[in-house]
Amino acid sequence: MISVSGLVVHLGGKPVVDGLSFSLAPGEFVAMAGPNGAGKSTALKAVAGVTPITSGSVRFGEADADRISRSARARTLAWLPQLRSVAWNLRAEDVVALGRFIESPAPYDRLGTADRAAVDAALVKSDAAHLAGRSVQALSGGEQARVHLARLLVSPAPSLLLDEPCASLDISHQLSLMQTLSNEAASGRAVMVVLHDLELAARYCSRVIVMDGGRKVADGPPDASLSDGVLRRVFAVQRGPSGGLVRAG
Amino acid sequence: MTRLTMILVLMSAALFALSALAGTAPMPISDTLAALIGQGDEAGRTIVWEIRIPRAAAAFVVGAALGLAGAALQGLLQNPLAEPGVLGVSAFSALGAVIAIFFGFAALSPLVLPLAAILGAAAATAILAIASMRGAGSVTLLLIGVGLSSLAGALMSLAMNLAPNPYSLSDLVNWMMGSVANRSWADTLLAAPALLIGAALVLIAGPGLRALSLGEETATSLGADPRRTRLLVIGGTSLLAGASVATAGTIGFVGIVAPHIMRPYVKHDPQSLLVPSALFAGMILLVADISVRILPLQQELKLGVAAALLGGPVFIWIAARLGRSAA
Repeated sequence: MISVSGLVVHLGGKPVVDGLSFSLAPGEFVAMAGPNGAGKSTALKAVAGVTPITSGSVRFGEADADRISRSARARTLAWLPQLRSVAWNLRAEDVVALGRFIESPAPYDRLGTADRAAVDAALVKSDAAHLAGRSVQALSGGEQARVHLARLLVSPAPSLLLDEPCASLDISHQLSLMQTLSNEAASGRAVMVVLHDLELAARYCSRVIVMDGGRKVADGPPDASLSDGVLRRVFAVQRGPSGGLVRAG
Repeated sequence: MTRLTMILVLMSAALFALSALAGTAPMPISDTLAALIGQGDEAGRTIVWEIRIPRAAAAFVVGAALGLAGAALQGLLQNPLAEPGVLGVSAFSALGAVIAIFFGFAALSPLVLPLAAILGAAAATAILAIASMRGAGSVTLLLIGVGLSSLAGALMSLAMNLAPNPYSLSDLVNWMMGSVANRSWADTLLAAPALLIGAALVLIAGPGLRALSLGEETATSLGADPRRTRLLVIGGTSLLAGASVATAGTIGFVGIVAPHIMRPYVKHDPQSLLVPSALFAGMILLVADISVRILPLQQELKLGVAAALLGGPVFIWIAARLGRSAA
């Protein structure tokens, strides 16, 4: 259970996240939506512990996130950033193996059988098993995204935070990614995903948190939080005659 | 030990044997081989064990230190063109030695020169460590390194202006070009503690370097501690660079070239790269040292010059290829 309360994060002196509170329970699959600059990525980074918190609190169960060690945090929660760079031309399976860094900080070849099996399983789950043995810089953007997804899935952490995992994926892989994450939630993991595609969010997620200007403006089942009022006010869109979203105006 | 490491160790041993055969004193191969296994006459054993092998050992150790430091810094800064020179550590180390030579301190005791070189490296390290503890990222550290190198250059010119003894200029030039001529076992042993501690620090940082492949933020989220990795690598490389500058003067390029050549053989993994880079860089300097011994020149070519002649073109080739792949 992750509980965020009154979270404020200042970047360059300005509040980017301004009093955000929400909770994320095991088994939940939650989407975080909002226009560009709403503070979604920063909120995720603050929860992941890679951006300092200005005020407010993040708690993992009973423990204050500030008080737990790096390794305890890495065992609690895994984070997939929006920008996923790989400095060297590593093999795909070695990138995935980094997901188990806290358990066994070794390249794939030197992992134990259990860790290696976990890496193989994660590659299968993210539809990237055929990419094993390939150099990461030789892969297409979508293939790299699947390798990074596998890196996240192989983590021992029960909570997953993903920042725009669907970017650069084709539609078929977007659907399969959402299905994979849905399965992870069904197996007891807490999954939170930043999404721009509201229809994808509504289709797969049990809850949608809508952010605007650093604050939470809606939080609930997709039907409730993506109401006509929120769509018009926050996203400047409305439901068109065919059911799809069109620009409001 | 991996297969690659084993091959490199065997090749290094072969090069050591080869370097026992190379020298200006005319000695038949049979006498040299006899001396190598402790047989033959006194003079032959002295030439092989007190002149040729110690010199080869110095070349290998200095090369290995620079290769290890280069591989570690490349992993830390995620930049294949990094080496001790980039962080200004070599330049400050050289500055320490220059001050010791020019102001006559070096004449006081054989310990002064190496200590001054390590102190110079430590001064640069302290500045980098303070910046690192205040949260400076890899790019900031690179820029500080550029600043430190320029500053060291300026301070060396200042030291030359203020130097009371103009005759030491030739000493300085000899030393700035880098050489292992006439190095004894004592010279290498003097540097050994700093080299061993430096190597240990860098090897401890190994797993952290692999985590850094995904960037500092992701590394942090994986449970790694990028700040600790940075301090270990900065501390380790300044000991390695300081001790190698003290032993052989400034020698460039091996710290860049060796990791670059080894990288494909370790699947580009920054941790697995460390030991092979050290061994390969040691081999490069051994080959360079054998070449300067057997080249029929009037005055022996300096090791640093030979290393630059071998390494410079390779460096330019690497940089050009990087530019093409980035474009």
